[in-house]
Amino acid sequence: MIKKLLISPLGWLFGILLSFGICIGALFLGSIDWQTLMHSEIGSKILWDIRVPRVLLAFVIGAGLSLAGVLIQSNVRNPLADPSLIGVSAGAALGAALMIVLADFVHIQAHYYIPIAAFIGGILATVAVLKLGRNDLPGGMALLILAGIAINVVAASLIGLLTYLATDSALRHITFWSLGSLASANYFWLSLCSIALLIVCLWLPKQHRKLDAILLGQAEANTMGVDVKRLQQQSIVLVALLAALAVSACGIIGFIGLVTPHIGRMLVGASHRYLLPLSFFLGGSLLVIADSIARTIIAPAELPIGIVTALLGAPVFIWLLLREGRRLQW
Amino acid sequence: MVMSLEGISLTRNGKQVLNNISGEIKAGKIIGLLGPNGAGKSTLIQSMARLLEYEGSIKINGQGLDDFSALQLAQRLAYLPQHSQLQFPLEVEEVLSLATLPFSLTRLQQRQQVKQLIKDWGIQTLADKDFRQLSGGEQQRCQIARTYLQLSNMVLEGKGQGIWLLDEPASSLDLEHQQQLQKVCRQAAAEGHCVVIVLHDLNQAFRLADDIWLLDKGQIRAQGKTSEVMTEQLISDVFNVSARRIDDSGESLFIFN
Repeated sequence: MIKKLLISPLGWLFGILLSFGICIGALFLGSIDWQTLMHSEIGSKILWDIRVPRVLLAFVIGAGLSLAGVLIQSNVRNPLADPSLIGVSAGAALGAALMIVLADFVHIQAHYYIPIAAFIGGILATVAVLKLGRNDLPGGMALLILAGIAINVVAASLIGLLTYLATDSALRHITFWSLGSLASANYFWLSLCSIALLIVCLWLPKQHRKLDAILLGQAEANTMGVDVKRLQQQSIVLVALLAALAVSACGIIGFIGLVTPHIGRMLVGASHRYLLPLSFFLGGSLLVIADSIARTIIAPAELPIGIVTALLGAPVFIWLLLREGRRLQW
Repeated sequence: MVMSLEGISLTRNGKQVLNNISGEIKAGKIIGLLGPNGAGKSTLIQSMARLLEYEGSIKINGQGLDDFSALQLAQRLAYLPQHSQLQFPLEVEEVLSLATLPFSLTRLQQRQQVKQLIKDWGIQTLADKDFRQLSGGEQQRCQIARTYLQLSNMVLEGKGQGIWLLDEPASSLDLEHQQQLQKVCRQAAAEGHCVVIVLHDLNQAFRLADDIWLLDKGQIRAQGKTSEVMTEQLISDVFNVSARRIDDSGESLFIFN
C-alpha cells in the first residue's frame, strides 16, 4: 500500500519540478508575466529554445541513466554496479577525446562531430566488453565485469595519452566535456534520447518479474522459466544505448545510474514492479535538480553538471558502502 | 511423468565429475541421491535441471531436455539450489510469488496462491519481512515453499505432472521442519509428481526415499530400493566409516562408530 501511495503522486511532482526547472536560471522566468514573456522575443527564445529542451533533456537523460542503473545492477546481481561497468562511458569519452584532439590538429570545428564520435566509441567499447566477457558461459557475468574493468583501464590510458598530446585548448575542451554539461541541449538530442527511452519503457513492463527472478540467482531464474542469457543480452544492449546517447548528448554524468536505484530500493524495496517507475521519476528529477543547481549557483556562469552529481552522489554512495559493510558484518 | 537419464557424463577442468550415469525416475517416487562429498550429487541434480552442459541424454516423457524452452521446462520442473544469496531487499511474499512466473495466472490468482501457501506452511510472521533478514533455516523453508508452489501448479486433470529437484533441502532445517519437509515430499509424490532429493543424512534417507542412487566418485555404485541399497557393507565402503544397520519392526537405522 505504501508503495502504491509513493508511486501515485509522482506525476504531480514531475510537473511541479519541470516547471520549477524551466523557471529558474540566470533569468528567473517565474516572476515574469506569462503574456509579456510570450510576446517578448528574447523571453520566448529563452523559454522554448533553451530552457524547455534543456530541462526536458535533463529529465529524459536522468530517467534513462537511472533505468540503465537498475537494469545493470539487477542483471549482474551487484548493488554497486553502474552503467559505466560495461565500458560505455569510457569508450564514449575516448571517442570524444580523440575527436577533439584530431579536430584541433586539422583545425576543424569539432562541435558537431564530438557526440557522433562519443556514441561510436561507447558502442564499440560495449561490443568489446561483450566479446571479451563471454556472457554466454555459466558465471559469465563475472567475466563481463572484469572485461568492463579492463576496457575502462585501456580507455583511460588512451585518454591519458591523448591529453598528453593535446594542445592547451584541446585539453581544456576534453576536461570540460568529460565533466558533463546540458548547455548544448536541443530538440534533436531531446528527440533521440526520448525515442531510446521510449523503446526501453515499452520493453520493460513484460520484464519486471523476470528481473525479480534474476535477483534470486541465475539458476533460480532459469528454472522459473526465464531465458536469463537472452534477458541479460537485451538488457545490456539497452543499457549501452541509453548510456551512449546520454554521454554523447551531454558528456559524462556520474552517480545518477548508481545512486538513484538505491534510493528507490530504500523507498519501495527491490521489486521491479515499483522500483522501475520510481527510478524513472527519481533519476529524471534528480538530474533536473542537479542541472538547476549547476546553472544557478554561480550564475550567469555554469558549473559542469558532472561535478554537481558527483558532489551530491558521492556522499550517498559512501553512506551506502558503510551500510552494506555493517550489514555484511552483522 | 517419467524422467530418464542415459549415459550422463560431465567433465570439469579435465576431471570427470559424472561418469556414465543412467536411470529412470518414475511418477509418484521419491529418489534420494546419496554419496560422500565430491561424489557428484549436486552436479547430477543440476544437470537434471539443465543448468550444466553434459554428455548423454536426459528426457522428460521421451522428449529431450534441450527440446524445451526455458518456460516449458519451468512448467515441468521445479529446482531448489543448495545455496542462494539475495543481495537486494525483496520481501518473502515477493520471493514466493515468483513461483507463479511460468504459469498464465491473473494477479488475483497469484495472490490467492501465495496467501494460501503462506498459511499452509505457517510462515505468516515471515511474509512481509526482508528475505535477507531471515535466518538460514527460515530462508531455506521459504525457498522450499517457493519451489513447492511452482510444482503444485504442474497438475493436469488432478494428477501431478512435475519433477521436484531438491539439492540438500534439509541442511539448515530443525527437526520439526525436517518432518514437515518429509510430509510435503510424500504428499507431492502421492499427487503423482517425481521427487529427487540430495541427502546427507542416511537415516533421513531411510525415512524419506523410496529409491536410492548411491554415487561415488561420479559413478553410480548402487541403485534401487532404499532398504536394499543401504547395506552395512556398501555404506561403510562408500563413506569410509564403520556403519552398523539396525532393523526393527520395519524401520531401519544406521549407527556409526
